[in-house]
Amino acid sequence: MIDRLREAVREKLQELDLVIGYGEGYDPLHATPVFIQKPEEVDRLIWNPLCVHNLATYLYELRGKRVGVVVKGCDSRSVLQLLNEGLIKREEIYIFGIPCDGVIDLRKVAQKVDIYRVKEVSWQKDAFTAKTDRGEVSLGLEEVLQDKCRGCPYPTPVIHDFLAKDPVKPKGEGEGLLEQVSELEELSPQERLAYWRKELERCIRCYACRNACPLCVCQDFCAAEARDPHWIPLRDRVKEKWMWQMLHVLHLAGRCTGCGECERACPMGIPLLRIRAKVNKELKELFDYEAGVKEGVRPPLLTYQVSEPKIEERQW
Amino acid sequence: MKDGVKFLEEGALEGLLRRLSERARVWVPVEATPGVVLWRPWREGEKVRLDRQGTEPPKHVLFPRSETLLRIYEKEELKIEEVMPQGPSVIFGARPCDVRGFEVFDQVFGEEDPYYSVRRRETTILTVLCTEPERTCFCTTVGGGPLEEKGSDVTLLWIEGGWLAQAVTERGEEVLRDEAFVEASREQIEKGEQRKEAVKLDPVVDLSGIPEKFLESFTSDFWRRVTAKCISCGACTFLCPTCYCFNITDERTPEGAERLRSWDACMFYHYTLEASGHNPRPTKAERYRNRIGHKFSYHPSNYGTYGCTGCGRCIKYCPVGMDVREILRELKEYAEG
Amino acid sequence: MSRNPFLPYIATVKEVIEETPNIKTLRVVIDDPSEREAFRFEPGQVAQLSVFGVGEATFVINSPPTRTEYLQFSVMKVGEVTTKIHELRPGDKVGVRGPLGNWFPYEGMKGKDILFIGGGIGMAPLRTLLLFMLDNRSDYGHITLLYGARSPRDLCYKEELKEWEGREDIELVLTVDREFPGWEGRVGLVPNVLKELAPSPEGKVAITCGPPIMIRFTLQALAELGFADDQIVTTLERRMKCGIGLCGRCNIGGRYVCKDGPVFTLAQLKELPPEL
Repeated sequence: MIDRLREAVREKLQELDLVIGYGEGYDPLHATPVFIQKPEEVDRLIWNPLCVHNLATYLYELRGKRVGVVVKGCDSRSVLQLLNEGLIKREEIYIFGIPCDGVIDLRKVAQKVDIYRVKEVSWQKDAFTAKTDRGEVSLGLEEVLQDKCRGCPYPTPVIHDFLAKDPVKPKGEGEGLLEQVSELEELSPQERLAYWRKELERCIRCYACRNACPLCVCQDFCAAEARDPHWIPLRDRVKEKWMWQMLHVLHLAGRCTGCGECERACPMGIPLLRIRAKVNKELKELFDYEAGVKEGVRPPLLTYQVSEPKIEERQW
Repeated sequence: MKDGVKFLEEGALEGLLRRLSERARVWVPVEATPGVVLWRPWREGEKVRLDRQGTEPPKHVLFPRSETLLRIYEKEELKIEEVMPQGPSVIFGARPCDVRGFEVFDQVFGEEDPYYSVRRRETTILTVLCTEPERTCFCTTVGGGPLEEKGSDVTLLWIEGGWLAQAVTERGEEVLRDEAFVEASREQIEKGEQRKEAVKLDPVVDLSGIPEKFLESFTSDFWRRVTAKCISCGACTFLCPTCYCFNITDERTPEGAERLRSWDACMFYHYTLEASGHNPRPTKAERYRNRIGHKFSYHPSNYGTYGCTGCGRCIKYCPVGMDVREILRELKEYAEG
Repeated sequence: MSRNPFLPYIATVKEVIEETPNIKTLRVVIDDPSEREAFRFEPGQVAQLSVFGVGEATFVINSPPTRTEYLQFSVMKVGEVTTKIHELRPGDKVGVRGPLGNWFPYEGMKGKDILFIGGGIGMAPLRTLLLFMLDNRSDYGHITLLYGARSPRDLCYKEELKEWEGREDIELVLTVDREFPGWEGRVGLVPNVLKELAPSPEGKVAITCGPPIMIRFTLQALAELGFADDQIVTTLERRMKCGIGLCGRCNIGGRYVCKDGPVFTLAQLKELPPEL
């Protein structure tokens, strides 16, 4: 499959300024984004369950250039959302789609193996083996896949110019994320408050979550850092960190495609995805809307209707 | 400076921490959530993780993420109150790379910053020496080492059952007078020596001439290329033991205002943004170039040591896997080519 | 134990002068007499002016050390703090933290002819040195001031300009960017007028300050006229916070604009990485 992808990239590279794909990272357990400009660089492209990054995050800053981008199903939704919002132009991008069977959550792997001492990784069908100085650990992919991959409804890119292999059928209806959300919904409001207090206390406001998000195109001028109006003091308390998350989550409502990069990027392991998944669930129920799955659809929070079919205002 | 080698049995650790807490705030590495080890004040029953490098360095003990420098009272007569740090601290379980970070702070903040110097004077550091570097460790590349004791008051070396303890300073000797520390036996000391001898961490890049090579590369397209995947967040900066950039802002209070000093990062767009709208570092290429320049050219030229301790956190926690070792290697090649 | 470098002196605003539609000059006096007495500074040094609850901003101490009845700061309204500064009235309290940075190397300028080249608010640091030199007139040779602004309204220190025009011991050349009704002085951008004047570099020091684009073309013009790099002095602007070389922000290469500057000769600037 990787050969098909490399060939397609090699061919298209002549018409493009660059292609963004996945390459080998700093150790066997990490892939990394690579920016291919010359044909001899194409062989750096790889594909495996460690290709976790959402490469759509680079598209906005590269507008004006002709960019090829390698995307999984979830990543392609970010691309489509960017297109729907008019933030990037269709004619400026070429989408190399990879139907995906799921990517690894290194935090889950870290509970079974010392992920910073892995010397070698070998792949088997539906499993992989990691070797450290202390021995070998074999892990079934199923036990270490990201939550978002379980029951993934869009494993095949929803928009693409090229598919590297045959489409993959939906794995479900998003059970992985829905489970995260119900864990939240089962908590009483006080329990939820305590939960987020505990989790957000670790936040250091590094804004990795914001900068990793493909939809956060205004990160250089972010309301969270504005002085006028001064929404969030620079004090180091849970209150401020929570305010930051609320600001982010609400600004992303209707735009977030649930790719989970925010959570993956967070160095403090804060479970950021589930609050966004919760908002996404609410939006699905209220407006029958999901970000980045249908072309030309306007986010509900950017539309106005005199009366909404699912909001019974007259009953209030 | 060194008394005999002592031994701290694992079971005696809790009592030691309790007694230290009676006279100081004791900071320890704690697993705040699976896989994330953070520096927190020790509390009874707290499980301490001395077996690995913390997710964050103990930087915020001496340099808080946000601290109040001044309180301004405006109700009647305008009055400004300096808010000085209080009380001694103990950092228990640092790694040599964390301690090297404080060396950089000492060089820059020194005696000039009263808030930092008060804290520094009143802090005792017990360091766990490293016997098993991670794949991202590169302290020996930047002039440090896994067994480096400079800057610590006490060093601890894990051997089965507990730690061999040695005082490096007078303050360290005082700590070792605690009942938890007993004379180490000959076998224990030998085991320690064996452990130390087995530690291997070769430098990964030869950094000689890097300060000048950096300046040669300054205006080139090199930086645009190597920063292509950077997302310009602050993770590397905030988790770095040597990064000390800060912001000073006023926040309103009921009585008037507070002037805060908070962490800032040269990776952010706003960092050098002038009120006129002009920004000398408008893109991530310039900002990252400044980051590398600061650590590997400007700081060494001004102070004689690298502004990097080789702890590897910027590599581990970068969301896209920027690898500073790789960039330094490429910088060398670029300058030589 | 030396004074906390983050602690400002409390000062009272004595006078507010409207220079142009977006520039105001503040005259402040430090409240505490012993602090006021001890506040010694050199021409070219800056200070952090605080509006409590809003923040600090950096300004050159616009009055010379030879005239200490008050400390003067000229402030252009561009952002959060400067907007609040523009709302200040006599009697309001501010904070003054300083003096910070280095100063004009006036010792080395003694006996030389001085050429001041200013644009807009860039006149502020030049005023400090100019007044200092006028107060020590015999130390310096011929003094010329070339000062330009977008329009006659945007010229600062209009009263003083009139005064200087009348003086024999200083040559004043004013210019505005284009024709304006009622304006009878020169018309043209400062760098172009400089080229027209074509001063000889012999025995001269050129001191320039203004918007980045003006400085760039002025430096070019001075080079064309044969000025050597160490004959040209400028003062730089940067976002500053601590003002004492600690917060890491205002560096150009390994030098901090707040501590090793803001005054630099062109020779010194050329040794630094090009990061203006």
